[in-house]
Amino acid sequence: MPSSFLFGINSEGRVHTLSTTGTGWRELPYGGQEFKKLTAVPHFLWALGGDYQIYVYVHGLDVPIRVREETYENERWLPIEGFSSRLLPTDRFHFSNADGTVDRSIDKIRLPSMAWQWEGDWRKELTLDGQPLDHDGWAYAVDFPSTFYPKKQWSSCVRRRLWVRFRKYSAMNSWCAIAPLHKDATNEPFIDVSIGGQNIPGADPGTLMVWGVTSHNRVMIRSGVCTSFPEGSRWTAIPTPEGCEVLQLNVGPTGLVWAALLDGRALVRVGVSRECLQGTSWVDVKPPSDGLKIIQLSVGTNAVWAITQDKHVWFRKEVNGMATMCESLCTGSGWVEMFGRMAQISVAANNQIFAVGADDRLAYYRFGVTEEDRTGKKWRALKAPMQVSRASSSASFGSDRLHRSFNNLQSRPSSMIEQHVTSINGEHSHSAPTAAAASLPAGDLGARYETQPRHPRAWSPVHSAGSVVATEARPDTDGSVWSVGESSSCIFAEDEELGWAEFEASWSWIEAGACTVDPSPPLPNWFGDSSGCGSSSSLDVDAPWRQSILRELRRRTPPDDQFAHYERPGEAAASWVHKGEARVQRGGDAGSWIDCLLELEWVQEGSLGNTGSIMCTGSLTILNADGASTLHIVSLNDITCVQMCSDPGTPRLAIHVPRYHTPVIRLAFNSDALLEEWQAHFSTTCGKLRGTTEKSSDESVWAATTYGDIFVWDPTRMEANQLREDECYVQKFDLTGKESPFKVALHVGCCPGTVITFTGCIGDEAERIGINLEAPPTYKPKHKTFTELENTCLHLNPRFKDECVVRNSMIEGEWMSEETEGGNPFVRGQEFNLRIETSEDAFLIFVNEDKFCLYRHRLPPESACFLSFWGKLKPFKVVIKSPRIILDMLNLYWRQLGGHLRRVESCKVGVTWGIGYDHTPWVYTGGWGGGFLGTLDSHNVHPMTDSQDFRVYENQRWNPVTGYTSAGLPTDRYMWSDATGKLKRTRDQVKLLSSRWQWVSDWMVDFHVPGGADKEGWQYAVDFPASFHANKQFTDYVRRRRWYRRCAIATTGPWQELGHTKLLEVTLEPVEDYEDTVISVWAIASGGAAMVRVGVSKCNPMGHVWEHVNTDQPLNSISCSPYTQVWAIGKKGCAYVRIGITKEKLEGEKWVAVEPPNGGQLKQVSVNKAGIWAVDLHGRLHVRKEVSEKFPEGTHWQTILPDPTILNSAPNTRGFKHVSVGENQVWIVTDGGTIARREGICKTNPAGVSWDIGIPGFFQYVSIKAFS
Amino acid sequence: MANDREILREIWEGKLPVCFRLDKDEVADFREPDPFYLMVPRLSYFPLVTDKVRKHFLKFVANEKAEQEMWLEYNGQPLKWQYPIGVLSDLLLGPDDLLPWNITVHFNKFPETEIYRFSNKEMVESYFMACLKEADVLKHRGQIASSMQKKDHNQLWLGLQNEKFDQFWAVNRKLMEASGDQDYFKYIPFRCYIDDGYRQKLVKPVTEDNHKKTLQDLLEEIFPGNKNIKVKTHGMIPPMETPLQWLSEHLSYPDNFLHLCVV
Repeated sequence: MPSSFLFGINSEGRVHTLSTTGTGWRELPYGGQEFKKLTAVPHFLWALGGDYQIYVYVHGLDVPIRVREETYENERWLPIEGFSSRLLPTDRFHFSNADGTVDRSIDKIRLPSMAWQWEGDWRKELTLDGQPLDHDGWAYAVDFPSTFYPKKQWSSCVRRRLWVRFRKYSAMNSWCAIAPLHKDATNEPFIDVSIGGQNIPGADPGTLMVWGVTSHNRVMIRSGVCTSFPEGSRWTAIPTPEGCEVLQLNVGPTGLVWAALLDGRALVRVGVSRECLQGTSWVDVKPPSDGLKIIQLSVGTNAVWAITQDKHVWFRKEVNGMATMCESLCTGSGWVEMFGRMAQISVAANNQIFAVGADDRLAYYRFGVTEEDRTGKKWRALKAPMQVSRASSSASFGSDRLHRSFNNLQSRPSSMIEQHVTSINGEHSHSAPTAAAASLPAGDLGARYETQPRHPRAWSPVHSAGSVVATEARPDTDGSVWSVGESSSCIFAEDEELGWAEFEASWSWIEAGACTVDPSPPLPNWFGDSSGCGSSSSLDVDAPWRQSILRELRRRTPPDDQFAHYERPGEAAASWVHKGEARVQRGGDAGSWIDCLLELEWVQEGSLGNTGSIMCTGSLTILNADGASTLHIVSLNDITCVQMCSDPGTPRLAIHVPRYHTPVIRLAFNSDALLEEWQAHFSTTCGKLRGTTEKSSDESVWAATTYGDIFVWDPTRMEANQLREDECYVQKFDLTGKESPFKVALHVGCCPGTVITFTGCIGDEAERIGINLEAPPTYKPKHKTFTELENTCLHLNPRFKDECVVRNSMIEGEWMSEETEGGNPFVRGQEFNLRIETSEDAFLIFVNEDKFCLYRHRLPPESACFLSFWGKLKPFKVVIKSPRIILDMLNLYWRQLGGHLRRVESCKVGVTWGIGYDHTPWVYTGGWGGGFLGTLDSHNVHPMTDSQDFRVYENQRWNPVTGYTSAGLPTDRYMWSDATGKLKRTRDQVKLLSSRWQWVSDWMVDFHVPGGADKEGWQYAVDFPASFHANKQFTDYVRRRRWYRRCAIATTGPWQELGHTKLLEVTLEPVEDYEDTVISVWAIASGGAAMVRVGVSKCNPMGHVWEHVNTDQPLNSISCSPYTQVWAIGKKGCAYVRIGITKEKLEGEKWVAVEPPNGGQLKQVSVNKAGIWAVDLHGRLHVRKEVSEKFPEGTHWQTILPDPTILNSAPNTRGFKHVSVGENQVWIVTDGGTIARREGICKTNPAGVSWDIGIPGFFQYVSIKAFS
Repeated sequence: MANDREILREIWEGKLPVCFRLDKDEVADFREPDPFYLMVPRLSYFPLVTDKVRKHFLKFVANEKAEQEMWLEYNGQPLKWQYPIGVLSDLLLGPDDLLPWNITVHFNKFPETEIYRFSNKEMVESYFMACLKEADVLKHRGQIASSMQKKDHNQLWLGLQNEKFDQFWAVNRKLMEASGDQDYFKYIPFRCYIDDGYRQKLVKPVTEDNHKKTLQDLLEEIFPGNKNIKVKTHGMIPPMETPLQWLSEHLSYPDNFLHLCVV
């Protein structure tokens, strides 16, 4: 679990943080302002200052808050002037939003508050849906509410272009004051503030709720607060019932608000929903007993805790924050008194409780709070030590981040225009309804107010004394920073160098709203010496007694050489048989299932001693139900992959034996437990046979399936097992007994250096024989099918009648010119030995060890994929020697590792990252096992979770009598269906895939669908297979809405969670050629922003921190290799190249757009030494052509359509889904789940010629970057 | 919590070279059998590792004796099979004895009065599990072991038998944590071997005023007034200032007891 923060205010009003991964409190940089109360959600901290003003502090975001402001410039064509900004009166504004309804004049678009800064000036957007625009960014249309096109036509009467400008929240990591309600800040100050609402069901992502209480006991709500607008726009008063004077309030994560009243009662806000975030009405709740006043309340997701006047703690029974519409679930059913006297209490989003003791002022954590027992067991004091120094600048947020903000300050241009705009802003005071200025910087508010007109620069929070940066940059403003160390180095000092003291300070406030502590062990190391067992502290490691024990233990080890011949006691069970029942599918993919018996036999011979060698074999026998006859016998050596292929509720395994008559054996089991047991048996036995029981090598190829399972293939194991003769890989085929004609597959083509030796005997009555090196056929699309045109690299055709050997090539079905010189060394009725050596420019042909002739290449020899022969001859043997490893896609052994991921990406030094279905990034720990293997045969595994949504569509049709109903026309789709409408889906029939999954939500209407939705989630359209929009129009006859239900999986695997920032894609590339080099890591955050991870290397695979890289368009896909070459794909299908990347500046300088292929929107790109390859939305593959040193980005795209070998590789295959490019290889995944390798890639033909198809294994992602 | 993996691994990997010889009087063959050399884990028990020894000597003994139980002897003392091998070596091997450990194998004249009979490995297992549960009663009032399932018990036993560290510790770590909100074990499970038997006593890992006890404190409680006593375990003498809780977590044998031999 990534770290999160607990916040506290000490008796001096200073804010401190305690990280769940840290052990000590750190002071937040002091900005000259003391605080009274804190309230937090992750990354957003709000506080009530000592001056009774409200402050906001944004921290720990990897991606800066950037907002893209857009305005469309509209023009109409007039007969004389041409296009002009004079529009018709009925037209839209000259500058407007996209649909023309709002005036968006450039001078009216201003920064919302002082905390924002513009990034650059207004710019024209020069692409339309990914296609480049000429004419200065203009797009043309017939009339305004119409479709715009990039080209001007005779009928184009209007045009428009898009101006964009980014603004950025620049007050990150600093306190920023919220404008007071009145011009005189002392008029109606605040007495409480609370933030929450980050988990309101169905609300827009990023929604936050901020409530406040003024000194006049008025309740205020801050409107517009969200993660992209941290400070919100204005305060709005919420009326409270007569006679209710609010003293304190608290907002829960689900938007539930409880308020404590002056008279001791509580008020609960009911009716909070996504449409009405502020709720609809108040309900009052009595205090625990008469005369006992509630003075403080805290709300979690499913818990409300209160403190009464006498410092007693109370728990409210049966509160359910998820049901905010239900009054009784919001208010709960009664108070329960808890043990302990507390001054203040704070409930975290996961219902964990923290409090400040009433008498000792210590911070307490409530032990044992679980889903079942929300009240917990006992209070336990936090004994985390506190940093004494007040400098504390590095805080828990890391000194490097601080460092960077300092750099930003220096590098940022301080434009005068910005100053101007912001000051106008201040005067116009649009933020507060009661005529106040925009957000103020922190600091002594009154004084600041007076000085600001004279020093407009001080207005910027970044420059003000209240910010982090200022604290460092201006030592004179806060002497305390320098008072301890007296040297500037103390600010960036490492933890160890700072003075530490045992915790003694007293707390006045604890805030847990941003803190996630999992109640199951291990708990954070916060409880000092007494946590766990006293011995666990790191101090033990250096203790002399421990050193002595370790030394003594090592000394007693008997010397190896003396006792090397001693036998080991041996394993307990060397050979065994495991039996069970299952069902097996007969025949092909649609066959029926019959009961069967499984017998897995493992035979191990020899002993484990140092001298003895072990011979292992194993076999799987599948018998029919009565055990009388055998259905399949499989040698475990021939199994290349064992995969889960369950349907919900029916656990199934697919056993891939590609060389067998039935290449995939599917087994169904009665329970998930049985399935996992067999999976574990197969995995351990096959793993032992293949020598893959421990960590896979760094060169491994990683893949993920549509089930989220992770597979890895280790090429070094194949390399180790392949025959070698003098630097060459050798493959031998014994063909005795085989009949001509026959074909032998050449898996790596005839790259230069390849030697093929073919021996056989020619028949007595042979007339002509043929020996060919065939290339894959060319497929020409013809109507809806393909014509197949043959290609042959070398046709060797001895003709005994003519006493010659004809050599020729066939290109696309046409024979070229023949070569016949040299007579005929082949003799009828005699054995022959034919050797074909491939050189750069020709085949050298030897017959019976004598050089016969030379045949110049007419087709690239790399494209040869079969050796075939025909005619009257008896083959003996074929030996293929290749300088490259002979890779047969069907023979790859895919080993499963634990975990659940959607993508997994590796690089040459073996650093591997994964991304879950919920976009959480995970880093490979170097371990193995987990998942179905449990704790056995596992190493370095961690718990892992992932979540997925089930979605169904509810469809309705309009009829004149009853309006929209679920009665459709007979021709309509199912009224409950999937997105395509072809499959029936009902909500109550959904089953989870396996027992590892469980529901984490109920069925909910999805309001965040592409195209938008109305208040009830409906989308409208003219008819069913049409595009849906949010607003009902006159011609709409049908509507639909999407329901979703979330489920989560809990498993284990060798993966460690990286951090908070969710990712879409990641790519890793070592910068230099040694083991522990810096690795350049590019990623796309879930919003589409590009980021670079700093500090990733083999010994620190997680790196330190994300560095944001600006992009104009949100991105979808990114790929980097070598580190100087980075390509990305925008959300609209356009490609971008990053230029200016150097070793010192891995993030490069700027993006350059590359036009997408004609009519294709790209969705994924992969680049490496083997070229620049991309997949588009229609499942086609594109490769960049004419890539040269001068033009590293190439000149145009060549399209590769899915040919019949791809289309027939697995059922339901329509095209390509994913491509991964290595140093000399290109692998793809089809949408049918097959991995295939491109064959015949060479310098002259970088696009290759054909595909080597692997097993149909439900794959959806592959990464071959580590494999060379 | 037992989290010092370096120490745990070192303890787990402790091995002893043993040379087995058949008692000369029992050789029924005309040839003298070769001695049998075996590298045995200190944490294991002799019945678990001597299958090969038995097989090796079986053909040299008289046929009618072959069905009898094999037993082992060192320096005239029959070896107690229920003690872990490491404990036996700490007890019997003097400081001057060189490795390998020379053990005599007998098939005849089982010393019924001195050692228990054992018919199969299940007996060792049940003895091992009984020790483990006894230790848990001392540490956690028996709450952890009794809440475990049969498969956890199997995993412990198989982990020990097959020398799989991770398999064993995946379960054993639950036993080596202080339970619930406690910081320490209730009592430290230990056996202190002296003369012919061992002593056990209820000893808490911390003093009344919550200070950690050390090995020194433990020995003073068992042998009051005797300052110069030293104990051996795992073939070494741990420093007196080693904290007791740590010692119990890291240097216990798989049966969860500290086996300390007074030297």
